[in-house]
Amino acid sequence: MLPLPALLPQLFCLIAEPLLNRLIRLDPAAQARLQGLQGRQLAVVLTDLKIRLVLTAQPNGIWLNQHQEAVDCVVSTRLDSLQQLQDPSQLTRLIREQALDIDGDLQQLQKFSQFFQQLQPDWAEHLSGYVGDAAAHRIASQLTQLLQLLQLKLQSAEQQLAALALEELRLSPVGAELAQFSTDVSQLQARTEQLARRLQQLSALKGK
Amino acid sequence: MTEQHQDAAQTAQNTTTHFGFQTVQAEQKVSLVANVFHSVAAKYDVMNDLMSLGIHRLWKRFTIDCSGVRPGQKVLDLAGGTGDLTALFSRRVGPTGQVVLADINESMLNVGKDKLRDLGLVNNISYVQANAEALPFADNSFDIITIAFGLRNVTDKDAALRSMFRVLKPGGRLLVLEFSKPTEAWLSKVYDVYSFKLLPVMGKLVANDSESYQYLAESIRMHPDQDTLRQMMEHAGFAQTSYHNLTGGIVALHRGYKF
Repeated sequence: MLPLPALLPQLFCLIAEPLLNRLIRLDPAAQARLQGLQGRQLAVVLTDLKIRLVLTAQPNGIWLNQHQEAVDCVVSTRLDSLQQLQDPSQLTRLIREQALDIDGDLQQLQKFSQFFQQLQPDWAEHLSGYVGDAAAHRIASQLTQLLQLLQLKLQSAEQQLAALALEELRLSPVGAELAQFSTDVSQLQARTEQLARRLQQLSALKGK
Repeated sequence: MTEQHQDAAQTAQNTTTHFGFQTVQAEQKVSLVANVFHSVAAKYDVMNDLMSLGIHRLWKRFTIDCSGVRPGQKVLDLAGGTGDLTALFSRRVGPTGQVVLADINESMLNVGKDKLRDLGLVNNISYVQANAEALPFADNSFDIITIAFGLRNVTDKDAALRSMFRVLKPGGRLLVLEFSKPTEAWLSKVYDVYSFKLLPVMGKLVANDSESYQYLAESIRMHPDQDTLRQMMEHAGFAQTSYHNLTGGIVALHRGYKF
């Protein structure tokens, strides 16, 4: 076993912390929103990776650490469930499926979540310091258009791939086929159970 | 051997100590170590990055993680040198807390002062030139004490640990980050080749000082291993002592509490 991976969480924090705080500084409204969180700590435990990442809100940014001390709120989840946390309607389902566990002050979790969702770095303002206002505005608007175009292309590619997999290549079943298969399996299960009962009855008769 | 001769030999042994692989008089070690750090102070950070391939930053972050530092706390960064840990602590204790950067070596302290001022960290940091064996602070003054890559250069380590115990508040914790003994035989061999062959050459090329880096390699080998240091901490009065090996035991972080 190589010794370095034990320090990977520290490596992640070392790289991510300045990047995150740079992003926060690029949003002029973020500092004010941070005041409401000041001194609060949120721990995110990724159960599959066995990592506990602690976010501490400070007046001038958010510090990332990996410690076991008591914090305001602990969110335990798997890495693949992390993205689903953005959608509040998924929370109940994730808790029910034991894919998410929240321990502590739920209000602090909501505040942290709100802070990150509202984070809007002003790239154009930052860029204008290097290339001037007009050029920065032009670059920012073209980048926005490019991102929108990429999102559209991505959605379209996803739809085309799904259609290809379902209808052309028949790699996966369409919804109706899946429903029919599910019904067939249920019927087969019922018949198997019936047969098992019948066999039991026959065995009992033979025993007499 | 007569009793008188035994006493004389014992006294001579008590007043000598290690300086790398050499045996020197205890009072001589302070000035020898001081010379080493006066010589390397200017290139200390560059050499740290070069020698450890930047991994020393991860070891220091791990130390911060294990410190459980909170806003408002008072921290002593002993043998703090160029202030890497002080910078991390300063941001975390915030304006209501305080970090004291202490080092016995004036050159190192000056490099640390300049660096931290350049980083804009001025409000909650104070600087003290101090000997770890006789800390100039009142009893029960600090919530956290760290000593990173400093303890092995101290002449009387037991006295230094007792001094740290005295100035630590009840409930406070001591963190000792120091080179230690690799846990794997293969790593130990690679590390020996690196330390005794490559390190002095790097020292010569970058800092124009191979002797200081030869001393570094030798002083690491003479430093107590993980379990011995843990026992020394317990003898000094620390409770719940433990250690984490980092990078295969090349470095170990020892932790102990004062109750």
